[in-house]
Amino acid sequence: MNLVFEINGSRRSLGNVPCHATLLSVLRDRLGLLGTKEGCGVGECGACTVLLDGEPVNACLTAAWKAAGRNVITIEGLATEGLHPVQEAFVDSGAIQCGFCTPGMIMSTYALLKRSACPDVEDIKSALAGNLCRCTGYKQILDAVRAAAAKMDRTHDDEVSGG
Amino acid sequence: MTTKYLAARNVEEALAGLDDGAKVLAGGTDLMVHLRRLRLCGAGLPEYLVDVTGVPELNRLDMDADKPFLGAGVTFRRLERDAAVARRYPLLAQAGAVVGSLQIRNLATIGGNVANASPAADGLTALAALGARAEVVSSNGVRHIPLEELIIGPNTTCLVPGDLIVGFKLDRPPEGSAQRFYKVGRRRAVVIARMNLAVSLDREMTDPRLVLGACFPSPRRMTEVERLLASETPGPELWREAGRMAAEQFVQVCGWRSSAPYKVPAVANLVSRTLESTWAELGVAG
Repeated sequence: MNLVFEINGSRRSLGNVPCHATLLSVLRDRLGLLGTKEGCGVGECGACTVLLDGEPVNACLTAAWKAAGRNVITIEGLATEGLHPVQEAFVDSGAIQCGFCTPGMIMSTYALLKRSACPDVEDIKSALAGNLCRCTGYKQILDAVRAAAAKMDRTHDDEVSGG
Repeated sequence: MTTKYLAARNVEEALAGLDDGAKVLAGGTDLMVHLRRLRLCGAGLPEYLVDVTGVPELNRLDMDADKPFLGAGVTFRRLERDAAVARRYPLLAQAGAVVGSLQIRNLATIGGNVANASPAADGLTALAALGARAEVVSSNGVRHIPLEELIIGPNTTCLVPGDLIVGFKLDRPPEGSAQRFYKVGRRRAVVIARMNLAVSLDREMTDPRLVLGACFPSPRRMTEVERLLASETPGPELWREAGRMAAEQFVQVCGWRSSAPYKVPAVANLVSRTLESTWAELGVAG
């Protein structure tokens, strides 16, 4: 039986996916979507955060078959023409150093801003509590989320392929 | 090697899969970590998983019924956000909100938390305070097992292959109860509890509940402390005495370990302060 799901707006069908495969291994090794990172591999760091039916999950903890018939968005699905406003805000705010945590941070931020257009600092901290960054010290990341909220509010450009 | 994954649509399908040798997969936040370890060691991986999170009975959340029921497949995120849970069982909603991260709470289920039976599990402390009785089905029929009997030690339950936890029946707290769940860890989020505490009090102290978790091998109500709370006059002295008694029982059960000089005062203060703040919420004069 093939694993069929929607990834960044396109329907894909994959054969020979073992029952114990993670969604992360399918994204990276089968689909070549290397934007989603494996940090800790055990759900502590959030570098592998993707959206499953719009909700952030750790792809390293998600059985690949849980995606069957559902919709997955990764960092590759955000940018359509040029960067997504959340990506722009991270660049402009200096919220990226080594960049390894950034895809996960951006997916958590994107999910937060979909839920709540104007999050306060506590909302942001709670939404990003599962995403670790060892470089920036988080101040610039908080700035980036606030800047992204302002940008998205201005542009209303929150349409993502399949999202 | 061909493996098999069954997304069960009902209990019968799930049980058929289990009888066929499948392992249960709920949210996977513990199981996938375990499988990763097996993969890294080159150990054998399961060939058949049955995902039970799509079974309607496991997603039933019936908080306002005469016999409240919490489906085993309900996620911590749902516990955190559900209005009926917040109204009926605030300690369950508070516990749901402090498990792992948002990403984990979107996957992890209360039934998986029980089956994994970590001594530090936040869900177990909350369920024990609510007198949870697990509804367990297998192809041999249905059993109702009190949580404190289901979990027989650290990461150990009395369940056998073929068993499936469908959900939990919960006690109804007396009208006008106040409840608190509190967790102590190294940091505020994405942390495994060093200790956690669930408290439920009512104005008449007809049925006080107190469960201290992550301090004992398995979840348990502190019945002696509960009896003390029911028999003495509520107030600062009683809260202090209850904290002292809880700390004493902690040492009795677990012995004087290297962490005891830190944990004993922490238990005493956690218990007395939480009782004080829970009682204050009831707004009893005097």
